[in-house]
Formats: sequence, structure tokens, C-alpha cells
Amino acid sequence: MDSNKKYWKGLEELQQTPAFVENNKGEFAEPIPVEDVLNEAGLSTRTPRRDFLKALGFGLGAVTLAACNRTPVHKAVPYIIKPEEVTPGIPNYYASSFNGQSVLVRTREGRPISLTANPNSIGLNQGTDATTAAVVLDLYDMSKLQNPQLDGKDVDWSTLDATVIDALNKAAAAGKQIVIVSNTVNSPSALTAIATFAAKYPTATHIQVDAVSYSGIVEANRASFGKAVIPSYHFANANVVVSVAADFLGSWLAGEEHTQDYIQNRDYKSLKNGRMSRHIQFESGLSMTGSNADVRIAIKPSEEGAVLVSLYNAITGQSLAGGVSNKKAQTAIMLAAKELTNNRGNAVVVAGSNDVNIQLLANAINSALGAYGAIIDLDNYSKQYQGSDAAFQQFLSAAAAGQVGAALFLNSNPVYDYVKAEDVTNALSKIDFAVSFADRADETASTLKAIAPASSFLESWGDASAKEGYYTIVQPTINPVFNTRQAEQSLLVWAGDNTNIYNFVRKNWEENILAGTGKTWNDVLQTGFIYKGSSVGSSYTANVDVNAVAIAIGTASKAIAGEFELKLYESTVMRDGRYANNAFLQELPDPVSKVTWDNYAALNPRDAEKLGLGENGKVTVEANGYSVELPIVLQPGQALGTVSVAVGYGRTKVGKAGNNVGQNAYPFARLVNGTVQLEAKATVSKAGGTYELAQTQTHHTIEGRNVVRETTFAKYLKDPNSESGRFADSHKTYDLWNKFESPGHKWVMAIDLNACTGCGSCIVACSVENNVPVVGRDEVRRRREMHWLRIDRYYTLEQEDGSKLTKEKEIAKATDYDYENVTVVHQPMLCQHCDHAPCETVCPVLATVHSSEGLNHMAYNRCFGTRYCANNCPYKVRRFNWFNYWNDSRFDNYLNNEFTQLVLNPDVTTRSRGVMEKCSMCIQRIQGGKLQAKMENRKLRDGDVKMACQEACSANAIIFGDVNDPESEVSKALRNERVYYVLEEINVQPNIGYMTKVRNTFEA
Amino acid sequence: MRNISSVLGRLAKTVSVGLMLLFAVTMAHAQDVKEGETLFKSKCTTCHSVTRNMVGPALAGMSERHSEEWLISWIHNSQAMIASGDEAAVQLFNDWNKLVMTSFTDLSDDQIKSIIAYVDAEEAKAAAGPAEGEGGAGAAQSSDANTLMILGLLAIVVLAVIVIVVLNRVIHTLEKVIAGNQAAIEAAQAENEEYEENRFGKFARAFVRNKKLVGFAVLMLVAFLGVLGWNTMWNVGVHTGYQPVQPIKFSHQIHAGVNQIECQYCHGGAFKSKNASIPSANVCMNCHNTVTAADHYDGETSPEIAKIYKALDYDPATREYGDNPRPIEWVRIHNLPDFAYFNHSQHVSVAGVECQTCHGPIETMEEVYQYSPLTMKWCVDCHKTTEVNADNAYYDQLIEAHEKLKKGEKMTAAMIGGLECGKCHY
Repeated sequence: MDSNKKYWKGLEELQQTPAFVENNKGEFAEPIPVEDVLNEAGLSTRTPRRDFLKALGFGLGAVTLAACNRTPVHKAVPYIIKPEEVTPGIPNYYASSFNGQSVLVRTREGRPISLTANPNSIGLNQGTDATTAAVVLDLYDMSKLQNPQLDGKDVDWSTLDATVIDALNKAAAAGKQIVIVSNTVNSPSALTAIATFAAKYPTATHIQVDAVSYSGIVEANRASFGKAVIPSYHFANANVVVSVAADFLGSWLAGEEHTQDYIQNRDYKSLKNGRMSRHIQFESGLSMTGSNADVRIAIKPSEEGAVLVSLYNAITGQSLAGGVSNKKAQTAIMLAAKELTNNRGNAVVVAGSNDVNIQLLANAINSALGAYGAIIDLDNYSKQYQGSDAAFQQFLSAAAAGQVGAALFLNSNPVYDYVKAEDVTNALSKIDFAVSFADRADETASTLKAIAPASSFLESWGDASAKEGYYTIVQPTINPVFNTRQAEQSLLVWAGDNTNIYNFVRKNWEENILAGTGKTWNDVLQTGFIYKGSSVGSSYTANVDVNAVAIAIGTASKAIAGEFELKLYESTVMRDGRYANNAFLQELPDPVSKVTWDNYAALNPRDAEKLGLGENGKVTVEANGYSVELPIVLQPGQALGTVSVAVGYGRTKVGKAGNNVGQNAYPFARLVNGTVQLEAKATVSKAGGTYELAQTQTHHTIEGRNVVRETTFAKYLKDPNSESGRFADSHKTYDLWNKFESPGHKWVMAIDLNACTGCGSCIVACSVENNVPVVGRDEVRRRREMHWLRIDRYYTLEQEDGSKLTKEKEIAKATDYDYENVTVVHQPMLCQHCDHAPCETVCPVLATVHSSEGLNHMAYNRCFGTRYCANNCPYKVRRFNWFNYWNDSRFDNYLNNEFTQLVLNPDVTTRSRGVMEKCSMCIQRIQGGKLQAKMENRKLRDGDVKMACQEACSANAIIFGDVNDPESEVSKALRNERVYYVLEEINVQPNIGYMTKVRNTFEA
Repeated sequence: MRNISSVLGRLAKTVSVGLMLLFAVTMAHAQDVKEGETLFKSKCTTCHSVTRNMVGPALAGMSERHSEEWLISWIHNSQAMIASGDEAAVQLFNDWNKLVMTSFTDLSDDQIKSIIAYVDAEEAKAAAGPAEGEGGAGAAQSSDANTLMILGLLAIVVLAVIVIVVLNRVIHTLEKVIAGNQAAIEAAQAENEEYEENRFGKFARAFVRNKKLVGFAVLMLVAFLGVLGWNTMWNVGVHTGYQPVQPIKFSHQIHAGVNQIECQYCHGGAFKSKNASIPSANVCMNCHNTVTAADHYDGETSPEIAKIYKALDYDPATREYGDNPRPIEWVRIHNLPDFAYFNHSQHVSVAGVECQTCHGPIETMEEVYQYSPLTMKWCVDCHKTTEVNADNAYYDQLIEAHEKLKKGEKMTAAMIGGLECGKCHY
């Protein structure tokens, strides 16, 4: 029963720091000052007892008087002419796409309220990432521009158009370049619009540049295969995955798509068939992907190339110079190489670096492993990142030389996200006329002459092609809420083409995309996508001069090797910073560090100790002549002598929620051989002062109880029950309460810990669906985040000799931890809907009671806020509304205006101050699903009702359904041998079953 | 009196003139006119009126404008006529925005003739007395009724005066008799007053001294105030009978009661959605495009119906919609608190609850008021007693399970979780 591993959520817990012990004494962070008020000294305090009583008396009187008001008159305003397809109270779904992924937009009474993956789509993933789940909030963002602007003043479109056309004609007449600078544009219609524009202005060119660049891969593939593309990776076909610093489940290329593929070899269905892939990760900072790896080796950024050289040598038997000298890595590489060669054709190596040479070596390895074809698909290649760093540098030098007459910035914000902002500002000052299509006056747009605000994708016609052969449609779900115009339309107008954008997109589809498919435009509007690609990619052989590459890698490594090495990364949550004003994303804890509302310098605790820093310390990080002060996170798993900093923070002109959150880390990057690289030599020094990060890692802690069960694949194969520690099997249980009958439905959930990667998109989807408020950084520091669903992240330490630190006694003795070597388990934790719920028995007003469908109901209007239930909840999943987050000027960062409140789900109440809330198991969806079945006069089918979190999960880690139906997917899942219930031994009879984490480690 | 006779006289004259005229016109085709009326009402009224331009032109005078043969062939197939290049047909078609008139090939020549006869008769009727005629008669009748009432009242007043006068006489006679025994009476009076005073004082004193009685009175008072307070408190926020003034004097009595329009026609949402939904103005226009109640308003559109036109920025004369529509802001009568989730379709479509069960005799309401208290007790009481509609296949999976539990018992909403908090509060 007892676990032989010690799990801990944060270093405070491992080391039992005084602050941690103090905070964990009470359920709530701040004790209520009852004693102070009631004792004798209470009279002399700043608010003495008498004043308190006076205030109380006055308050009571005032409230009584206020209550005498007549009931307010409510108006009911019907449509003037009701659109045929709208029935108030019934959602409409539109097929659209976001970032190239086919999605369904749910609208109520004409306003979009959520996005889910298009379940019928065959391309990309079946879940959504956090950004997709959260992006609907941006539609209602009050920080956006409401009118086109010239010189910072609102103008109408005709004035703007006249000015722009005039400037363009001038530039064209002078023979100067007109440059459209954009991030990757893969929309066929947008590209046609750009071509139309370029036809009108012959000097016009289009360059693409991405904030986080992948041009290293493009260039490497151009050199190796003559194909300048980023391939699609099919991890489903890989038995062995070796990743060198690629966060491929998170922010690297298409994280969600990779997750869906990768999990197919690791989830409960795969394990049932005795199959599990092995994943070996080499990286410096602990990424989300690293946290899911079976074996993870901490290396310095300068060793990335060396690891690949050693790996190449081990696989091919060659002996290139410049292999890795790190002993631990050497051992791991030998084992990894053995695994890879044994699985030739089913193995892949991915590298996260943007260095062309490193990617070339990765190509050589993959070619040797026969990965091209089934796993790495160069035919159905990805079109998500086509930016070229070199092209942008050429643009900057041309502009600085005064050769650019006009520049148009489309989804591009180089003043913020380019390595050298001063180069950009200098170039911009030499351009005669520049206009941005940004939806807000961002860092770049605010310095330009004109802004032509583009409509959001939810207000626009358009399309995308994230992959070769895969086309998705973008259709508007609402009229433009502000006086905006989509960029494609603006380009057409400026090119003198007055075609309406709808006709333009439709014509483009009918002529170019739909031709020969037998499908019509209306079909596509309904299905949302069309796939014309081939099924399997063909095999390729890389043509790489490995010796030259190895030498180049050796030289490049020396440039970043130092006492401290800096690794910049794109966080899974904030990505490149484009959506920094989205409060849902800002409050989503980082999957690993659990930090919200900030970026930070992640340091190994030993390094921090050397610098004389502890929790809440600050450091000055300096590299490439740029330096910032950052709060530190003592990050277990961080390689010694490295510091990791996330890009995407430090926006200054993005809006109320995102301004000045964290520090901008883009200037730390380096331009090497024409590509932007995220590694640098750095100096890290202690800075004065302290800074408390809003970190949720030790909030709602479970007091070291045994909640995580973990086994290895070898053990699992011998005994599928291994380590699941099922209590009921070996103990007789007694009930204080009568058995709760669920004669109709009984709603339960199964969570596969092996599938959950910890990405957190379920948290955002839950918040959007259930109107869960964002509380802001200060409140998170006070442990008052409101998320109904959290993902607990547990660390365990492994000793250098590979044996795990076992038994709590040993942990207490051992002080010399190897903080580089940790393993991680992610565990989604939400209301367990216990049949014998401890919260229900302590509620004095019966505000939380059990239902005959196995749910733990929470009646907000009955709750009067004693918080006894939260205190008595063993899972710590109840949240208390300390404020009226909807209507309190202190929380004005996103929802406190009538306009943004349009994003709320009208089927769910917004909770007021002083009441408790928690996961309701999306009861509005359950009720809606049942009603739908009744209306259609049929039984409820399995899969009719889906939870918001379940829909968002690309890994299918959350399975929900009716356990009274023995054929339902959840019933089948719960019959799995790996299933255990958290804190089963206290016999609260939870209804959420977890499946043990299985790790495919090397067996000694 | 003279007034009445003159009114009656005038009435008799107009009625007789009107009747004579009607008789003259209708004598020949009395039977045809009746048939024509039936046909006209079933086939033509959607687009035509005799006196007013609607979707199509006013039909009055059509037999003067066109020959009978022309009309028959037009009604049979107007498009063919236009195609053949008939000048009048093309002209008419162009004048009316090239609106295509439905072809009535199923009408026989005789039937069309009877329609023409009916239209002519109606036209004559309208010409005879648009201001007086039947309307005048109605007015006379009603003023007659008024006079009767006034006469009756006068009679009562006169009777009352007579009674008073007679009584006064009696009192006067009695006073005279009394004056004879003045002295004796005065003495007796004084004695009597003293006695009265004593008696009252004694009674009051006795009451105060009787503690049981005082206790009882106080108890009664407390009980009274208690009940009053209790009732007041229980009814805080209960708005049964709430009947606000609406922007349009819409009468459910006319629409649902007299005209028997199905509830679903306007409140379609109640059958498929959470919201019953107030109909949008375009739903009103399905009928009020033609129904203007002009016969009650001297040929003018009813001012209440005109409010719909105003909301839509619709000009009934040109039959065109402007670009400044303004929604009608109704005052919500049934206000459930935000924390209670109520879904109409669950109750109306699934459970088959009549609208009237909650909304009361809506078809008799001139103006709608809140019929039910909409309290939680009210909801719960109904859930406790209402049986589940077991015909719905959804309940099969529940009923099977339940039958294992409770054999033979009936299943109410409460028994399948209809009383659980989370069913309505989330």
C-alpha cells in the first residue's frame, strides 16, 4: 500500500521550509483575525470593537433600507427580425479554423462563447491547446482598437484608404520597395490577396518572419533533401523517441498534434496491447515534454550538438569528433543508441535547436534510422512555420539603406519580438510610410503612421492550410464588433480591387481548392475542412556532409559554452507572446513550474545556493549586452550551470491584462549564420530585493498522502495490477452511511495518468465553459486561484546511481540531492464526486448534497460561506469566492465591463462573493444531453455528453460517461487493472478513477 | 328624449336607404355573392382587400376597369396574359413591382364571376355609407342603452328623495308629540346620560382588571401581527399578479382566445428551447401585414398595430421597410432569479405540461399578469406530484432500473431526481 517513493510538489515541501509548514497548517492562507477583534486589546486597535459594532449597525440598517427598493423592472427585448437559424437558448455551431486547426465555434444568440476541435476533422488534433480554448476571450478584448488610426487618431476607413493608396503610389512611383512583413501566412486566400496586391504594385514583396523561428529546420531540409519545408512528425509510428531539447509535446511545432500521436503508443489502450514507446529526452530546462519522458538527461545548451554527434557515432559506428563528455549523458546515449538501432524504421530523433548544423546532423541520424516516410513525412509537410530569418534581415538592411518606400505589418510585431529591437526601430524610421494590421496599438503598430485594425478570425472570411493538402475554412460567427476590416480585404481595397472578401474567398476555393474534389463550397462550410494529401510520406535519404557539420557544431558550441548558459524557450502557455492579453492564459499555471502571471529565471537549486539565493530571490541575467532582473524559480531538473527564461512575456503595449507582465527575453537571442538561436552564454548574478512569484505549486497540497501510483513498463507487463495498490482488494471496508443508489445514470470519470502530459488546456476549457473567474497575480499569491480543475505536478528524486530515493526516512537524512535528476508525474485533480462526500456532511445549510446520478451538487444560492466543506475536502478541490470577481473594480483586468462579459456561458451562473464553488461535472452539459435525448425520444447514448476538459484533451486522458452502462467507454476504462482511486483508504468512495503512471525506464 | 327619437329616426332612414341599395345590387346574384364571399375569403384576402391596397391593388372598381372576360383570364393565369403582351396586363404588372399573382386555374368561370359579384356588392356597401351604415346603428344602440341607464338612475334618485321627505314628515310629527312632555323627558335624559357614563367606565375598569381577558387580547394582537408579518415575509419577492404596463397593448384574449392562435406560433422557443421567447416583430407581420383592425378605427390602422410598423420602420402605404428599426422593449413579467435554470422545452415538449398550468388562463387575459408565484415551493410541489411521461424512450433506461427498486409504484419527477439542487441550480 505505502508507496516506496516520495512525491513532492515543490522544494518547500521537500525541505519542509517554515513558511510551507505554516501555510499548510490552515486550509486558508490568511487566518481570520477573530481573536484580535474580540479580546480586550481589540478596543485599542485601529478598528476597535465599538467601531466595528457601529459599522455593523449602520451596515445592517443600510442594507435593510436598500432592500425596501422596488423590484427592478426587467426588459425583454426580442429580435426585430429573428434570423432563421437562431433560436434563443439553443447554441449554433459553425465550422471554422484557428491557427490552421479545424474548430467548431459555439455561438449563443449570435455571440461566440467557446471553441472546440472539429470532431470530424482528420487533420491535426482532436483536442485544443490552451490558446485555442482561450482565444474566444480576445474577441471581446476592450484593449483592441475600435477604429482605424492615422497618427494615433481615429479616422474612418475611406480617409485611411486614401492615405495608404497615396503613399503606396508614391513609393511605387519612386521605384522603392513595398514590403509586406508577416508571420507565416498559409492561408491560400490571403496569399492570393497578397498576390493581387503585388500585381498592382510591382515593387511589392512579401516576407515572412516568425517570432520563434524554425528556419534552421527549413534550411537543413533544403540542404539535405532539396525540400525547404518543415516535415510532419508522426510519433504514433515511433517506438523510440529521442528528443534533444525539443519540447515536441508543448511548444515545438505542432505540440497538440504530436501529443495525440505520441499518446497512442502510451495510453491505456496501447498498454492493454502490451505496447509502450520509450521516450528519452536530453535538455537543459525541465520542459513539459521532458517531464513526460521515460528517461531524462540534463545537459547544457552547448552540449546539444555534442549529444547528437555521440548519438550519430553510436548509431552509425563512425567516429566524428566533438562527442559529449558528460558521463551521465554518455551512458544514456549508449542505451538510447541501442534502443534506436533495435527499432530501426520505428525510431526518431528530434532536435529543438534552430541551428542549421544541428538539424542537419539530426537529419543524418534520422536518415540512418529510416525515419523518413512513416514517421517524418516530407510530402505532407507542415506549413505552420515558414518564416525566414534571413529574409527579414535583408529587409532590415534594405530599409536602413532607405530602399523601402512602404511597409505593411501583418501579424508581425518585430519591435517586441525581434532579437535587436533597435535595428527594427532604426529601419522603421527610414521607411517613408508604414501601416500595421494589428488589432491593437502594439509595440510596433504604435510607432507607425497608420493602423488598419484587422478583424478577429471569428469575424472574418478566410482559410488556412496548416499542412500540405489540408485546407480549412474560416467563417465569421459574428459581425465585426468594432469598426475593423480584415487584412485581406484591406489589401484588396488598396490594390484597387473592390471584390467583397466573401466572394473573393469563395472564388478562390471554387477555382483552386475544390476543383476536382467533387465537393461544393456549401459542403466545406459545413464540414470545415478538406484533405487532399497522400496517406503516407515517401522515404528520403539525407545527403549530409557530417564531418563538416560536426566541426561547425563544435565551433558553435564553444560560442555558447560558459559558466552559465542561457536557454530561451517558448512556454506551453504563453507561446510567443501574441496572446499575452488573454487573462485565461496568464492565469494558467506553467505545466512544470506552476508559475502564473510572470516569466522567471529557472535555476538549479544548487546553483541558486551558490549564488546565495533562496526562494523569492532575484537575479540579473546578462547576455548579448542585454540584461534584465528576473525572479528565480528553483527548478528541480534544471541542468547545472544553466538558466532558462521564457520568451513571450514583457509586453508593454498589449492591453490591460498583459502589459508589463514579466520581462522581454527576445533580445537575449542570437543571430548566428542567418538564423535566430535561443541559446547564449550568460552571466547570472544575485540582484537585490525579493519577488514573490504567483506560483500555485504547493497550493491545495495533499499533505504527503499517497495519491500518485507509479510503476514501470517491465513490471506492468509482468503484472498489470502492479503498484496500483487497490485498497478494496485487500481490506474490508465499513460504511457509516447508507449506500447511495444511482438507479438511472451514474456519471464517472477515468483519468489516464500515462496519457496526461500536463499541458493545461483542460483548465482553460473548464474556465471558459464554467465562467470560472480569473483572479489576478496578487490573489494567486494568496492561494485564491479559482480553477475548478488543477493539474498537480509531483517530483521524485533519483540518485546518481539510478536507484530511487526511497522511504521517507532516507529522504529526511539525505541532504545531498541530485536536483538534475528528477522524474515528474502530472495528475489532474478535480472534484471527485465522492459517494460518501465529506463536504456534504459538514455543510450546515445543505448547500452541497448528493444526487441520484452520483454527482455532488453545489447550490450557490444556498451557500453562505462557512467554508467547512473546503476544510473537510481531502482532495482540496473546493474554491471560495473571496470577491465578486465580475463586478469589482479591483479585478478590472478583463471581465469587468459589459462588453467582455458577453463571453460568459449563459447556461452557467456567475457566482457572487462569499460562496463556495467547485467542479460540477459540467452539469449543464449533462442536463442538456439528457434533454436532447428526451426531445428526440431516445435513450442517451455514450458520448452524447462530453465534459469541457475532455473535449479539450488531445491525449484523450479524460474519459467521462455513465458507469451504469456496461458498454460505455468509461466503464471499459474503469475495468482496467491500472485503475485506482485517490485516497481510496479513507472510503469516501470517489467517482473518478485514475490509472497508474507507467514509465518505460531502462531496466538495470 | 327628443334626442333619442331623432337618432332613431336618422338610423331608420340610413338603414332603410342602405338596405334598399343593397337589395337593388344583390337581388340578381344573391346566391353568387354568398359563394363569392366564401371564395374571396379563402383565396384572395392574403393579398387583396376590396377597399385598400395591400400586397395587390384594392379590388373596388375592377369590373369598371376591366371586362369580365379579361378578369377571368387574368385570374386564371396572369403570367400568360403578360407574356401574350396584353397592354393592360403588362401595365398592371409593372405598376405593382412585377409581383407575380398566383394563378387560380382551379377556379371555374362561374366562381370567378361570383367573386366579382361579391367584390361589387362590397364596393356598393362601402360607397353607401362609410361613416354611417352599420357603424351608425351600433352607435345608436349603445346610446340607447346609456339613456336607459340614466333613466334608471334618475328614478332611483327620485325615489330616494321621496323616502327622505316622508321620513322627515314622520320625525316632525313625533317631535311635536314629544314637546308636550318636555320637562319629564329632560329629567330622564340627564339621568340616562350619567348612567351611560358609569356603565362605560365600569366596563373598561372591569376589562382592565380581568387579566385573563387582557392576556387574551394581547395574544390575539401578537398572533395577528405575527401572521401579518409571516405572510409579508414569505411574499417578499413573490410577484403573483404582477401586471406591468406593456409598450403595446397586446391582448392574448384576442389572439389566443378569440382567434385560437396556437401558442407555438409565436412562442416557438417554448417547444424547443430554454426560452419561450417573445416573437420577433417579423412574426407579428405574418398576420399584421394584412390585419390592421382598420374596421375598428375608422379605416385607420390600429394605433397598437402601428407600433409594430414603427418598430420595423415599415411604411404600410408604400409597403417598404426603412433602415431605422427599433426593437420593442417589453416588460418582463415572469422573472426567475438568475440562479435558477428553467428550460421550457423540458416541461412543454417532454413532460407535455400545458402552458396554462403555469401561466394561467392566458387565453382570457386582456393584459398578461403573473399567474403563478414562481417560488421554489411551487416548483417542488409540482415535481412531487407530476408523473413522468413514461412514453418517452429516454426514460426506458431509468424505468427499468426503477422497476427493480419499486415495483408497481408510479414515478414522479421527484423520484428520478427532480428535487435535487443541481437539477435547477448550476
